[in-house]
Amino acid sequence: MSMRDIVTGGAACAVPGSSSSSNPLGALANVLIGSSSETKERLQEIPRATTTTSDGNFSLGTDEHLTTLPGSELDHSLQPNGPGSEFLRAYHSADQSRLEGVWDGIQNRQGRDSLINFPVFEHPQGVNTRLQPDLDGPPQRVLSSFLHSFVNSSHGGIPFRPTPLPVLGLSEGDKQCIRDRSSIMARHFFADKSEDFINQQVNALLCSLDIDNDIRAKGPLPGRYRELEEYWNESQGMLKPGSHAADGWVTEFMQHGVEQGDHNAWAQSFEQQHGVNGWASEFEHEQSQITLGDQMRGAQFSNVAAMEQTRMLAHTLAQNDDPKFQNSKFLQFVSKMSRGEIFIEDNQVKPTALSAPGDWAAEYQQQYDGGHTWADQFVHNELSHGPDRWVNEFSAEREQHGPVDDQWVNEFSKLHVQDWVEEFGHQVGEGALGESSDNWANAYDEFLNEQAAAKQRSDTRGVYVFSDMNPYVGHPNPLKEGQELFRKGLLSEAVLALEAEVLKNPDNAEGWRLLGIAHAENDDDQQAIASMMRAHEVDPTNLEVLLALGVSHTNELERAAALKYLYSWLHHHPKYGTLAPPELSDSLYYADVAGLFNDAAQMSPEDADVHIVLGVLYNLSREYDKAIASFKTALKLKPRDYSLWNKLGATQANSVQSADAISAYQQALDLKPNYVRAWANMGISYANQGMFEESICYYVRALTMNPKADNAWQYLRISLSCASRDDMLKACDSQNLEVLQKEFPL
Amino acid sequence: MVSSSNLEERAAAMANSTQLKSDALLEQMKLHLATDVGKELTKKIGLVYQFNIAPKKIGFNEEIYVVDLKKGEVTKGPYEGGKPDATFSFKDEDFLKVATGKMNPQMAFMRGAMKIKGSLSAAQKFTPDIFPKPSKM
Repeated sequence: MSMRDIVTGGAACAVPGSSSSSNPLGALANVLIGSSSETKERLQEIPRATTTTSDGNFSLGTDEHLTTLPGSELDHSLQPNGPGSEFLRAYHSADQSRLEGVWDGIQNRQGRDSLINFPVFEHPQGVNTRLQPDLDGPPQRVLSSFLHSFVNSSHGGIPFRPTPLPVLGLSEGDKQCIRDRSSIMARHFFADKSEDFINQQVNALLCSLDIDNDIRAKGPLPGRYRELEEYWNESQGMLKPGSHAADGWVTEFMQHGVEQGDHNAWAQSFEQQHGVNGWASEFEHEQSQITLGDQMRGAQFSNVAAMEQTRMLAHTLAQNDDPKFQNSKFLQFVSKMSRGEIFIEDNQVKPTALSAPGDWAAEYQQQYDGGHTWADQFVHNELSHGPDRWVNEFSAEREQHGPVDDQWVNEFSKLHVQDWVEEFGHQVGEGALGESSDNWANAYDEFLNEQAAAKQRSDTRGVYVFSDMNPYVGHPNPLKEGQELFRKGLLSEAVLALEAEVLKNPDNAEGWRLLGIAHAENDDDQQAIASMMRAHEVDPTNLEVLLALGVSHTNELERAAALKYLYSWLHHHPKYGTLAPPELSDSLYYADVAGLFNDAAQMSPEDADVHIVLGVLYNLSREYDKAIASFKTALKLKPRDYSLWNKLGATQANSVQSADAISAYQQALDLKPNYVRAWANMGISYANQGMFEESICYYVRALTMNPKADNAWQYLRISLSCASRDDMLKACDSQNLEVLQKEFPL
Repeated sequence: MVSSSNLEERAAAMANSTQLKSDALLEQMKLHLATDVGKELTKKIGLVYQFNIAPKKIGFNEEIYVVDLKKGEVTKGPYEGGKPDATFSFKDEDFLKVATGKMNPQMAFMRGAMKIKGSLSAAQKFTPDIFPKPSKM
């Protein structure tokens, strides 16, 4: 059976009995995301090829610490043993023929009974939907039934009562997901109710599950959602002083849409107007004309819901890595629909008229003209059930089946929260900011990419990341080699050799320390801090390590941490240790620490190190003149310390003495020509003086020596646009150093 | 030994400044606006921005800064000369990311990491290049 058949359902999808929920798409979605144990068993037979086919979202359980990330939306999907992730892994590895099997499974189960308005698949294990929750049995089933009863309460708008439940043993992650999801879900269910009512419903639910409603602030997702909501309420309040601020933005959004009735009309009028004034005032204008009927709102809601549900589907489908599938028209269709670019109305697929330049509308049109058979079939089949129905079914199924394996929680929170925010931003961008819409659209793409990347990156923060290909692995004495390379100024090579060393001898503090120094000089702070932390673990009293950590944290503006390490430097110093009473380390005050170092400086004014630490401390308190004086004193004692020249330069630069800073950096570079950090700092100082062309050359120089210096890439980008060299932005974004070097020789 | 008055003075200096990372950047901005480049910027933009920067969560324990690109000043506390052209709310971290070009403002807005009040066209002139870049030791 081809993908198209699955989509259209083919003849097999003709559903007898109008009360049946066995809509093909809904059923497919159910299988994709659902929890049917039958399906799961089937999919579990699939060999675990997931390490290669998975797109990286599902880590296979080596990194236990990942699961402890607080408030992460990945809580569940990262749990290696959770049934949900198991299932998803299996799904990801499923190819089309497997889908076929799944499809057959659905066919067999077609025609089962369902409720009238909110049709559901009967769970194979017999967790039936009923209005009264089944509070016996294993925790999962109790939770499932309980959540069902919450969902059911929405049908009649009946107030939901707190119910005593047995201990369910929910993890924080579970709780947060339930919290997030139920809050959002409730706003959809009760779109026509007041915010107070919704809150009551949600609180009743959370109260029964012993979930603290306040924790919701912790997670990034609810935070985002709440912020958007607040923003929305705020802007509404601002524009319409009389309006009920407590009405959720969802409601507001519905109202706005409903009033127009016809999508095209709404979109067109919006488009016509958007150039003239801010979107906000337009919105206000429209708001003032609103008279709405509940019936219409219901209809409109279903369209919004349709968009969301398809988005959910699109997301799930997009996780399949099969290129054939990725290019399929079905996926394109679903994802277009999910973005609101097309929608189904009156038995026709229509593009929305919102797009100004009409790129995707045109693209869609082409596609539609070219191969409209599938679309027709799709529409026909779907519409025989009514466009709203399948959406309801789809959502109902998710809601009914999901809780069993937590999957629904993940899916829902991912899609609804993030996508709403994205969608909202997208629409605002398209509608309101005509001339800069490219900008916004790019940002949107970037945002999507970043989302994917962030999933992979979030687990690596603070952890040292080794290079993939390291020619020094197996070297007989990588430390010696690393030291040699470092001395020659070949920082990136030295990094590799030192990585080989610490791989071989993870407890070699010197290896880690030098690695940290090399990264710092290479202008890669994340890695510098990560390796210095390892050095510090191995040798907690190493003074050079403590100073380096103090400096790095000062650079990162992390004052408390910096103070801790600098104090620790003093405390462990053979000469000044006596000055540092250990009891002080519990509550460090900047003034106390600075006072102690001043004492130390008086004890031995010839010790350059004390002056260096003092200089760093004065940077912390932004007493730059004193910092500069301290570094200058130290330089008299150690005139050939290139890192000291750089410290002086950076301090001068931060106190806007850019010209002085540049000559200090020049000193550093004379002593160490491959000092990437000094090159990058040079660029910063030129940029801060408005000399963008010059700054570009220095950034490019720094980057040719270390393409991993992320800050320099960001600053280069800014300088390029400030110097009106937008023609080079592409080379910058693709990190094409060859082109950049040719264009900006130093 | 350091005199006690000296210590107190420094303690007071520290007490006035909070623990926000953004403080450092805004202080640098203050100095920056006094330079030729800063004056140029003032001429070019000529708007007043208010920044509400929260340590952990937008709206809570906010520190308020006004970057007045009409007069070329950075002041602490809400704007007193009427309504700022645009008010931005950030978390400490996110403000730094935007100001140093790690995150572009549009993206920050979409992620809900940046809230905007006031004129959208004024808000659009808020770009990372108005801020000086911090150098590293």
